[in-house]
Amino acid sequence: MTQSLWALRAGESARITGYDNALAESYRIRLMELGFHVNEEVTCVQSPSLGAPKVFRVSNTVFSLDDEVASHILVEPSA
Amino acid sequence: MSKIVLVGSPNSGKSLLFNRLTGLQQKVANFPGITVDVASGKLAHAPDLELVDYPGTYSLQPISGEEQVAVAQFTASLDDPNVSQVLCVIDVTRLEKSLYFTLQVIRECARHGKPVIVIGNMIDVLHRHAIEFDTAGLAVALGAPLLPISARSGEGLDTLLETVRENAGRQDNSIDGNQWSDTPDVLLRGTAHQLARQFGPRGDILVRTQSRLDSFFLHTGTGGLIFFSIMFLLFQSIFTWSAPVMDAIEAGLGALSNWVVPALPHQIMRDFTADAIFSGIGAFLVFVPQIFVLTVIIGILEDSGYMARAALICHRPLRIFGLTGKSFIPMLSGVACAIPGIYAARSIDSPRKRLLTYLAIPLMPCSARLPVYTLLIAAFIPNTTALGGLIGLQGLAMFLTYFFGLFCGLLVTGLVSRMSEDRFTDVPFVLEMPPYRMPSWKPLLRNAWNRSKHFVTKAGAIILAVTVVIWILGYFPNYGASLGDSWLGTFGHIVEPLFAPLGLDWRYGVAIMTSFLAREVFVGTLGTMFGIEGAEENMVPLVDSIQVSGLSIASGVALLVFFAIALMCVSTMAILSRESRSNVLALKLFAAYGIAAYILAVLTYQLVSLLAS
Ligand SMILES: Nc1nc2c(ncn2[C@@H]2O[C@H](COP(=O)(O)OP(=O)(O)OP(=O)(O)O)[C@@H](O)[C@H]2O)c(=O)[nH]1
Ligand SMILES: [Mg+2]
Repeated sequence: MTQSLWALRAGESARITGYDNALAESYRIRLMELGFHVNEEVTCVQSPSLGAPKVFRVSNTVFSLDDEVASHILVEPSA
Repeated sequence: MSKIVLVGSPNSGKSLLFNRLTGLQQKVANFPGITVDVASGKLAHAPDLELVDYPGTYSLQPISGEEQVAVAQFTASLDDPNVSQVLCVIDVTRLEKSLYFTLQVIRECARHGKPVIVIGNMIDVLHRHAIEFDTAGLAVALGAPLLPISARSGEGLDTLLETVRENAGRQDNSIDGNQWSDTPDVLLRGTAHQLARQFGPRGDILVRTQSRLDSFFLHTGTGGLIFFSIMFLLFQSIFTWSAPVMDAIEAGLGALSNWVVPALPHQIMRDFTADAIFSGIGAFLVFVPQIFVLTVIIGILEDSGYMARAALICHRPLRIFGLTGKSFIPMLSGVACAIPGIYAARSIDSPRKRLLTYLAIPLMPCSARLPVYTLLIAAFIPNTTALGGLIGLQGLAMFLTYFFGLFCGLLVTGLVSRMSEDRFTDVPFVLEMPPYRMPSWKPLLRNAWNRSKHFVTKAGAIILAVTVVIWILGYFPNYGASLGDSWLGTFGHIVEPLFAPLGLDWRYGVAIMTSFLAREVFVGTLGTMFGIEGAEENMVPLVDSIQVSGLSIASGVALLVFFAIALMCVSTMAILSRESRSNVLALKLFAAYGIAAYILAVLTYQLVSLLAS
């Protein structure tokens, strides 16, 4: 089942399956440069309330993304 | 002279290393994107070598116009025959984000025949967690020498210096074809990813502490409470810690002036020294303590890693107004003084959002407005209380005036951001969350000192010049006998019709015009006009005179509105021009906020007059 990275809750992990087309090419590349590769495991570490950007861990680096970015990253939740 | 270029991903410790090697004082902080300008300095132990510190980038493929400039500068340096080598700093605790850029740098350097040394910084953190790091293995995989160092503890710096010297001394700089010379970006990305997995520390051991602290600082309850406590403390400290120093500066200048002035031979010289030089210097020196304290506190927030969390907490509400969470600290500083706010806006990575933040900062109710508000509110708002003394009418007026400024700032950015879509200079909110660290005090204090010095030298000259001009206009042709008959007074009479729609006579007109130098000058000028000495220290006689002068409450409220909006601060203009690298922006803002302030003040006057009659 595919969902967006933004839908993850704190403590949940998922595997990146792709990016949707709404995300500009340059940002997609930048995200990959930061470590958000397809097939990479991402963990949502914090999901603060009131729609604040969520905090994700990917390969030992922690980034915070807001929904304008995270909702375009497609993931498959890990069991 | 042989140059050495220092590059690396944001927050990897380039500037700290630069400072270590050159003995200079570039700003170092635990927040990605602190260095925005290229800085250079001679190596302390090898003065024939010059080190150049670059802004951090995640890759050589720019996503904004500004990154493009930084990347272009770097690529240009590769063609510079004076550049003898490139140092590429990686953060060994966060390999993934560093390695792709490193491979790109190695490739470009190979193409241009420049030797690269990869510097594995933050090795002290790995030691602390007893994590092994296969330096030799990664060096072989990268095809470039890799030196583990700690810019903080100094470990490995000797070896680094030695290697750098050797490289610089080598005549033949051509390096043999590198394995990456022809590799496209896509493959480099894959390789970086694979190397990060192979050589990076396993598991989440390094981010565990960070995550634990985050669950506390970003929690809805505790996080919110801490956030508001920190903001409260920040304001307390700006006002209560700086106040005694500000008073001392005023008293000291006063004493010095009393000592110097009588010794001068000529009356004009005495007047000039007392009223132009000393009050001109006083007008900007009193703000130095606030700028210093605020810079130190912002520094602590940045270096501890909390700033990134504060940006996250404020992001959503600010986004409504076209801003980003990274605009929060600059705007908050603007509530005390616009200058540190404008400096703090440097670390906003999106040029568009930085520009929007610049628009909002001058509207934040800065502390220079406080004396003006205090005077006007005391003069026009009755000192009555409601709800059994719980709410004072004057306090309420002050609160509303402050809120009005904040509201206008957000309104402007909200409107402007909606009026113009701009894809290329905007960057979405992606923020690397730095680890929490103990702030290091010495660099913090040094940075605050440098900022204060920068303010004094850059803004000071302009303020002093403007003060002198205004003094000359106010002093001649009748040698200070009466302000009303001076050139300034004559000018006041000429422009009186401009202030008539606000119900103000020429005296207020002159006071307003002098306050374009700095807002708080309003109080002093008005004091002079009403013949009251020392109105800045004790406002009561001036308040009485204003009340007696028969000015209406409508004019009072109109003045409040005017001061809340108009950009009346030469220092802000000076620093804004420098930081935005555009005189046009500061002048545009000056004109726009001046006109808006005037129109809104006139409307307010008419409206309140209507309601009051
Ligand atoms: N523990 C540790 N911390 C370090 C080391 N080097 C740098 N730091 C810290 O890392 C943070 C970032 O350092 P900077 O020198 O500002 O990084 P930069 O690469 O210049 O960052 P930008 O200018 O934003 O690209 C600061 O808080 C430094 O104190 C190190 O070797 N060990
Ligand atoms: Mg730096």
